[in-house]
Amino acid sequence: MDARSIIASLTDRFPEDIYDADVESDIRTVAKVKPENVVDVCRYLKDELSFGHLCCEFGIDYPDRNEIEVVYTIGSYEHPVVLNMKAVLPRDDPQIRSVVPVYWNANWYERETYELFGVEYIDHPNLKQLVLPEDMLGEWPLRKDYKGYPNKTAKNLV
Amino acid sequence: MDEVEEREKVEPKIFDKIGYDDIPGVVMTDTSAVSDFLKKTKVQNVLNWGRKNSLWFMVNAMGCCGVELLATGMAHYDTDRFGIIPRNSPRHADVLIISGYVTKKYLPALKRIWDQMPAPKWVICFGDCAISGGPFYESYSTHQNIDEVFPVDVFVPGCPPRCEALIQAFVELQKKIEAKKDKGTDY
Ligand code: SF4
Repeated sequence: MDARSIIASLTDRFPEDIYDADVESDIRTVAKVKPENVVDVCRYLKDELSFGHLCCEFGIDYPDRNEIEVVYTIGSYEHPVVLNMKAVLPRDDPQIRSVVPVYWNANWYERETYELFGVEYIDHPNLKQLVLPEDMLGEWPLRKDYKGYPNKTAKNLV
Repeated sequence: MDEVEEREKVEPKIFDKIGYDDIPGVVMTDTSAVSDFLKKTKVQNVLNWGRKNSLWFMVNAMGCCGVELLATGMAHYDTDRFGIIPRNSPRHADVLIISGYVTKKYLPALKRIWDQMPAPKWVICFGDCAISGGPFYESYSTHQNIDEVFPVDVFVPGCPPRCEALIQAFVELQKKIEAKKDKGTDY
């Protein structure tokens, strides 16, 4: 399967949910997905299109567009194509279904995206902070408008 | 149980009778005389001499500087000749080396290690991160100005400083202890 046929198959199967799909090169594809159906899309990707490897999942904050994007980078062991799939969420209340039932390794990625961006994953088996201390939850430090950086210059700056 | 209680009742009486306080040359340990004797007379010089020559440090590798800290303790630099020995338990250690960035999450654990170390104890800030935050100095997760939390005696700049720099830090610390200028001992 090459990149073009993968994108074609994906848009044919989910005409409602997949938009802005594009083939960037022979090995790179991008697509946007409606947040409600991300689990179904992921299941189809894994079962039918042999995208078996969720390489990464993270968030991007766009304060001026008032959006948070969750990006899934999904690779495959069968073919050389990598898919960058994005789900656009509202910044005030970012909620999306967890893809842990499909890709089990999304567990920690989602916990990290939760603690750094505040994206709430519905049906996540264990949604709590990953590495941040517990009392920093709610600060969402990787959002662009985060104000909690040390505001006094370090005294001993060398 | 009864026996113990009885003895406790009896003992004060015996002490009253004998009156250790009166015997010349005998100092009761429950008075401040012992600590005064240790802290304020020339005995302190002897103690300090002993302390400065056995600065066992806590092996607490925190950042990438921790690697230099570990290397310093190994055979190549042979710090044993200065009496500087790596210890794995805070209860054996005299020197806490803050060797890297202190994250907000790690600070409570570091404080706990510090509290477990028996006095007298000293702190060395090893590396830019421990001094000011270094490359991470404006990070959301690091704690700045660690010297407001611990009584730091020696700062070693560098990213990372070399092992020789750590040995020099120990030598500086020894000089400070000898001059009674250190913050670790309560004089
Ligand atoms: S000072 Fe440099 S080498 Fe040391 S912990 Fe910080 S970044 Fe790492």
